[in-house]
Amino acid sequence: MATQHSRAAARLMISPAVLLLLAWMIVPLAMTLYFSTLRYNLLMPGANPFVGWENYHYFLTDPAFTTALVNTLLLVGGVLVITVVGGILLGLLLDQPFWGQGIVRILVIAPFFVMPTVSALVWKNMFMNPVNGLFAYLFKAVGLQPFDFLAQAPLASIILIVSWQWLPFATLILLTALQSLDSEQLEAAEMDGAGFFSKFFFIMLPHLARAITVVILIQTIFLLSIFAEILVTTNGGPGLASTNLTYLVYAQSLLQFDVGLGSAGGIVAVILANIVAIFLMRMIGKNLDA
Amino acid sequence: MGNITLSKVTKSFGDVQVIPPLDLDIREGEFVVFVGPSGCGKSTLLRLIAGLEDVTSGEIRIDDRNATELPPAKRGLAMVFQSYALYPHMSVRKNIAFPLRMAGLDKAEQDRKVEAAAKVLNLTDYLDRRPGQLSGGQRQRVAIGRAIVREPAAFLFDEPLSNLDAALRVGMRLEISELHERLKTTMIYVTHDQVEAMTMADKIVVLRAGNIEQVGSPLELYHKPRNLFVAGFIGSPKMNLISGAEAAKHDAKHIGIRPEHLKASKESGVWKGRVGVSEHLGSDTFIHVHDTGLAVGEEDMVTVRCDGEMDARHGDTIWLTPDMERLHRFDDKGLRIT
Repeated sequence: MATQHSRAAARLMISPAVLLLLAWMIVPLAMTLYFSTLRYNLLMPGANPFVGWENYHYFLTDPAFTTALVNTLLLVGGVLVITVVGGILLGLLLDQPFWGQGIVRILVIAPFFVMPTVSALVWKNMFMNPVNGLFAYLFKAVGLQPFDFLAQAPLASIILIVSWQWLPFATLILLTALQSLDSEQLEAAEMDGAGFFSKFFFIMLPHLARAITVVILIQTIFLLSIFAEILVTTNGGPGLASTNLTYLVYAQSLLQFDVGLGSAGGIVAVILANIVAIFLMRMIGKNLDA
Repeated sequence: MGNITLSKVTKSFGDVQVIPPLDLDIREGEFVVFVGPSGCGKSTLLRLIAGLEDVTSGEIRIDDRNATELPPAKRGLAMVFQSYALYPHMSVRKNIAFPLRMAGLDKAEQDRKVEAAAKVLNLTDYLDRRPGQLSGGQRQRVAIGRAIVREPAAFLFDEPLSNLDAALRVGMRLEISELHERLKTTMIYVTHDQVEAMTMADKIVVLRAGNIEQVGSPLELYHKPRNLFVAGFIGSPKMNLISGAEAAKHDAKHIGIRPEHLKASKESGVWKGRVGVSEHLGSDTFIHVHDTGLAVGEEDMVTVRCDGEMDARHGDTIWLTPDMERLHRFDDKGLRIT
């Protein structure tokens, strides 16, 4: 692409979209930045004096912050591992020709269409409920004490629920990537004496690298802001066991009505998300060019 | 080593039999070309030999060992694919070393063999590049390198030159022929291009709809085509096939005469016609002659090869004289009359 002229024209033509996007982003960001420097609590109406870094100081020294940060990373990491590994395995399975392939593929995508609140409630009430849930029933059927998932392993349970929602997305992208693998390459590997595992690790997995990168990048963006699933299942509890940063910001600003502190938390979350993004780009972004 | 024997091999996909019972004997060191129009089953036949497809019935023997049920890797054959099938994320070195690595050779031995193969194929300077950074001809050589290092009993080529441009194709054709001279290994080569078949083969197998139409050396096929199909398929431009009254004069249902065995003249000859398109190649000129009244195929057209200097304009009258010695006669079943 092309002449100086066409490059200038291209810049001119994308500028309205870029400007709109910038305004859309910058106005809320600027307001949040502004609020984060005020003592602004809805329970104490009146003057909202400028307090500088005070809100940040409170947010960052709050013991809940470290817990929430660790929980956020565990949640993102756990879901990524489960969805990528599961997605590859499911993709391999669905890539095999079998009867009813079309219907099965549609069924596999289905969880992605269920909205997060609904799926979390279904998991909470129909599967994980220690009295009425399906899991409790199965435990009892083999004579075991039902396990109260959301009380005893809240974060793991939420990771499970979120993984269930995102597995279809990963499967779909990885399946299409697998289908785009040149079958002659696999045949060549077969002639070269590669068994199934060699073919998988030397041919398929490198071919999937780019798709895996895409899955990780897109999912990370969404997983950093998981909220609904926590709200309807554990409310961040017990204690802080399943509170992530998003939920902590919500708790600060809307449960304690402290807009200033919540805004400071929001800014911290934005910065952390950017750090994660930079790391991701550094680590795997190079897979995207070439 | 490198004897391959197929006996009564058949292949069906569902109800469709693509290869009817077929027998074929390939001797050690031969350069065998499978040639035929697209969809004639030549690639399928190659894949059956490679083991990438299972035979429906029959037996494949490689070096007097029953290989019918053996997996591809155990047959000791190496294949060069049409798309080259290089592993895009590996360097040339790793691509070539891949079969050795799978065979569990130690690193030093791998390196030695890769270097040797690279030297043979002029790839030494490219060993650390990725396939994506190479030209078509170089990729082709990497694919061949990957086959050579395995020291196979036979090489299988599946239309390896069809993705190259015309000039490169001629070059690679020579390189593969040279390679065969040097290695003396059995090679089986699939192509739809009869020029490749004629120039490279020791033995050509002409296939149509899974049937072997004729097996023979290039010149055998050229001089003594067994039937109408082979007569029309081998040779460029195609042989002129004539039927009807003119053929009956020679006690045959069909007669065939190659363009190069016709003599064109402006004054006199046996058959009279009108000049259509002339193709000037410099050394030769191919003239398409119409309205000969010979009922040639459907379009009533005879092709004749003449001297490059021949000056014939569209619409001119022209006389043709066949070389009677070189006339091919076929009976009503399309078989050659000797």
